[in-house]
Order: sequence, then structure tokens, then C-alpha cells
Amino acid sequence: MQLEFELVTYDEALDRFNLDETIHQIEISDEEAQTYELLKSSDMNLYNWLKESDFFIKYVRENIYTDGEDRKIAISDINGTTFRRFYFFKVTSSDSHYEYFKKLFTIYEESDWQDREEIGADIVTHLLVKRQDMIIDLPKNKLVDEDVRKV
Amino acid sequence: MDKKYLESMLSKMDKDLSTHGIGRRQAMKMAGLSGAGLFMGGATGASAEEEKIVKSDAKAKIVIVGGGLAGISTAARLTLNLTDPDITIIEPEKNSANYQPGQTLVAAGIWDEDEITYKRDDFVPDGVKVIEDRAVFFNPQENKLTTEKGQVVTYDYLILAMGVQLDFERIKGLEEAGRAYSSGNNDQLLDTLGDSICSIYTAEGSTKTWEIMQKYIAQAKAGSPDKKTNFVFTHPSTPIKCGGAPKKIIYLTNARLKEAGARENAELTFYPNGGAMFGVPEYHDAIVGQFKREGIKHHYRHNLIEVDKEKKIATFDSKWQEKGPWDPVMKDFEVIPKHEKLRVPYDFLHIAPANIAPREIAESDLGSAKGWVPVNKETLQHIRYMNVFSIGDIAQVPMAKTGGSVRKQYKVLVDNLIAHMNGKKLESKYAGYTVCPLITSIGTVMLAEFDWTVKPTPSFPLDPTVERWIFWLMKVYALKPMTMYGMMSGRA
Repeated sequence: MQLEFELVTYDEALDRFNLDETIHQIEISDEEAQTYELLKSSDMNLYNWLKESDFFIKYVRENIYTDGEDRKIAISDINGTTFRRFYFFKVTSSDSHYEYFKKLFTIYEESDWQDREEIGADIVTHLLVKRQDMIIDLPKNKLVDEDVRKV
Repeated sequence: MDKKYLESMLSKMDKDLSTHGIGRRQAMKMAGLSGAGLFMGGATGASAEEEKIVKSDAKAKIVIVGGGLAGISTAARLTLNLTDPDITIIEPEKNSANYQPGQTLVAAGIWDEDEITYKRDDFVPDGVKVIEDRAVFFNPQENKLTTEKGQVVTYDYLILAMGVQLDFERIKGLEEAGRAYSSGNNDQLLDTLGDSICSIYTAEGSTKTWEIMQKYIAQAKAGSPDKKTNFVFTHPSTPIKCGGAPKKIIYLTNARLKEAGARENAELTFYPNGGAMFGVPEYHDAIVGQFKREGIKHHYRHNLIEVDKEKKIATFDSKWQEKGPWDPVMKDFEVIPKHEKLRVPYDFLHIAPANIAPREIAESDLGSAKGWVPVNKETLQHIRYMNVFSIGDIAQVPMAKTGGSVRKQYKVLVDNLIAHMNGKKLESKYAGYTVCPLITSIGTVMLAEFDWTVKPTPSFPLDPTVERWIFWLMKVYALKPMTMYGMMSGRA
């Protein structure tokens, strides 16, 4: 089975995400495919699984960011499941994103209309923390060093 | 529970039931309840049975800031659960124990103000000390606080239960009313609001609401369908205590107008800041249906920002959204918020004022920028100071600010505080339950219960979206004794 994914890069100095805009494909094993099938309906579980998977990190290091430089990235899309709202949410984003984040962060409002100044600011505050959990740290030459040791 | 009060309440209820030709037993059958269930208010039915309390020998100095329903119920529960409690309540108001859920009934002339007026000291548990002052400076790093009169109070554990304050001052034209409220001068507040503007958010204001309502019902009665009396109702842009109250007063005004035969000469219009009647879709739909049935108009996304008392014009910030440009990254259209001022003439104006947290909390290290106390929503423990807990309206819990929420929170808080005192894990969890007995007319109530799931969680085997007389009986006769003598004694 093939897994299609897209990435964003994180600029720590500017605290900003940038869309990579390249669609990557990775061949996964039967066991990994079973895990994917199990997690695909739960977006955050799916994200965390891929983020923590050695095969994924190895693929990114060896095929995408091959310069071995210290880099922070995040996943923006996995097989059609999008995580872009986590990195690019803004007060003018559409209501579907408000509903998603209100549920995720348990933001209770007595009425369901979006008071964008209040709720939007609340969502952004939560996102500052959540994004840190989602960022994947690709330390400088870490995998390269490990590969050298294995050899 | 006060036996004399209970007997009087039962006698009144029996009289009410007999006018409908049924007895108490039959009424309880209608509600699918045991007698205890009815009097304890649904979800408490099971817990109405006497609980077995295991006392803890843990010893610490506990200070509770706030002597309202949340503060006193917590103190009472701690007194029951600790063998040697050392508890101090800091509360400046003598009448902090007033029964606030009754203010809607006072405003509709169903109860008198003295039926909801209760003295703090009559409910403070034996052995609990009271400092009649306001806590104004908090130093959580050193576990101490300072009162307005300069008294320094130290503590081992602190419970913040200060409730909310009303903010009339943010409404242009009502700045003087705001200052009067802030200085505790209720007479001046009512004088400043005048004879056409009212608010049920204070006890005295409820009495005044009934006076003003009668005046404009009389005007409507003398009017005609061509010359209608305008009753205007608001709901602010902040979280408020009892989010159902602004609607309850509309329904009660509607009922009194119908009773007077003046309904067709009156226009009732609700201007809520939000975009729905209720956060739970099922209850929202039910309320919209009730508004339609009763001919009550509503316009969402209107926030009251100015009142011209002379010309009797209310100005709202009217908001709407327009479709914005395509966002190629998010792959959908943006939404652009728009707004404009809308001037609305009124005869009778009911204001649900903005509710804000006390400034001293916002200015301390204990509060968020807006003054709410950030706590774990399930354990009610402060997120930074482990010896600080918070409960009720001031706690930053994403759930409605109601007595129904407090009823579930205070036992959780006490369990967790004692667990913490004993060095144990905090295992008691607030499940987000709350209840709003939404009065829809004189004689009917829709019992809106829900929790974190934002779905109806009815305690009774009945459709929760249906207005029922049996729940009216519960609201009018049972909830007050349950609150004043059950919760305030730490048992219900």
C-alpha cells in the first residue's frame, strides 16, 4: 500500500509554517497498512502514529530533506486527511475549522455562532501549545550518525 | 432541611396540584419519579439517599473567597468531611446567600423579593469563621492574601468562589448605573436605569422589573395592534450566569401579557449577541419552535452597546459574515466578519448585562487575562498552584455558569481537596453536567440538562425538549429547598 503525504516546514525564528507543496508517496508494509486502516478515522491518532514511525522519519531524511541540516517539520496531509488548519488557522478561516477546534479544545459557547474575536483568539492560544506537540524535530545528522554506527 | 419550610412548601404545592385535580403521588408518577427524586431535582434523585461520609483527619488552614452558593456549599461539605476543619470564608456581603435562581420568578410577580433573600450568616456552617471583607490582593507564591481593610490572611489551601460581577458601565449611556453597581449602591443603580429599563440580574432589579413590566403591560392593554408597545430584551457578548435567564424573562413577560389580554398589542423582540438560542442543538430547536408559536421575534448577533434613555433608543452592534476570498492553503473560502450599528426604539428594555470576573483576580497571578481562574475542568484544581481550587461562575470551566453546575462541582472539589491534603491522587471528576430549568410560561418549564457531550442528558424518563407543568412544580416548589437546605448544608 502507498501512503501519500505532504509536509510543512517550521521557521522557528518567525514562528511560522510554510507549505512544502510537494506530494510524497511512500510504500508501507502490510503491518503498517493494517495500522493505517485502524487509525485513519481518528486524525490525531493517525498523525501521531506517522510522526512516531521510524520508517517515516527515515524516509523523510533519506528522500526529502537530505541535506542533514537541523530542521523542524510537520505533516500537513495524509492520504486526504488534512492537518493544515493546525498551522494556518486564522480568524477569517471558515466555520468548519471553528467547529473542529471548539470540539477538540472543548471550547464551550452558549450559542453556536462564531464570535470570531473571542473564539478565534482562544483557538489560537490553544494552537500555540498543540503545534509544539505536532512538530517533528529532525536533528542535525542524527539518522546519518545512527546509520554509520549500524554499518 | 428546615421542617417548617418544607411543610409550608408541600402545602403550597398540594394546593396547586388540587386545582388541577390531582394529588402529589399522581404528580410524581407523571414525572416518573420517586418522591425524593422530585424534591432533590432529577439527577440528585439517587444521591438524595443519605450518603455514608468517611471523615478525614487531614488538617490544614482552608480559606474560601466568596460566600455565595458555591462557597458556602463547599464549606459545609468540608465541615462534614473533615474531623477538625479550619475554614475561613471571606465575603463582604451580608446577603450573599440570596437564592438567585428565584429572581426570574420575582420579576414576574410570582414570588416576592423576601422569598429569595437569605442572610449569609444563617447558612455559614458551625465552626467556620467569616471575615466580612473583600479579598483584593493575592500572593499565591507565599500563600497569603490581603483584604480591602488591610488584613493579611494566610492559608494552606485556597478556594476561589467569588462569582461574577455585572458590567453595565460598558454600555454607553449607562456608565452612571455601572458606577452605582460597582460601589454597591443598588438604589442608585435602579434610579439611574429609570422606569423603562430593568434587569433581573440583581434581586432588587427583579422587583423593579415586575413594577416596570406591569406599567408597560397596562400601556399595551390600553393600546391597539396598530400601536404596539415594544418590549426589547438583550443577551450580551460575554459568558453570563444562567444563560437561560434572558429568555425566561421574555417568556414570563409574554405570559403576563397574555394573562392581561394585551398580547396582540405588544411586540416582544429578543436581540442576542450569539447566533443560536442554546448551545445544545436539540434545546435550540425547541426554543426556536416556542418563539415561533408565541410570536416572539428574535434577531441574532446583536450586542447592546448604547442606550439613549431620553429618546428610548437602544443601539446594537449588529454583526454578520460575508463570504471572503478563496484560501488556497486551507482549500476553502474565508469568512469576513462585518458589523454596523442598529438603532432600536423601545418602551420596555430588559438588559442582561455583560458578566465579568472580579478585577482583583485578573490582576493577580491566579487569574487569566480576563480574570477567570484557570483550573483543570474535571478536578477543579488550579493549573499552576496545586493548593488552589476554584468553583462556580469564576472558574474557567467550559460549561454554563449555573447553580446546577455548582451542585455537581462542589462535591468533586471537596473530594479532590481532601485527597490532595492526604497526598493522594485527585480521582473525583466533574463530568460537565449542568441544568437549566427554562421557564417557558407561568406553569411550564423545559428542563434542559446536558454535559461535556453537548447532548441532552435527561435525568427523567421523559422527552427533555417538551415543556412540562411537573417541572414547573419542581422549579417553584422543590429546587429552592434543595438548594438552600440541601446544597448549603453540603448534602444535596
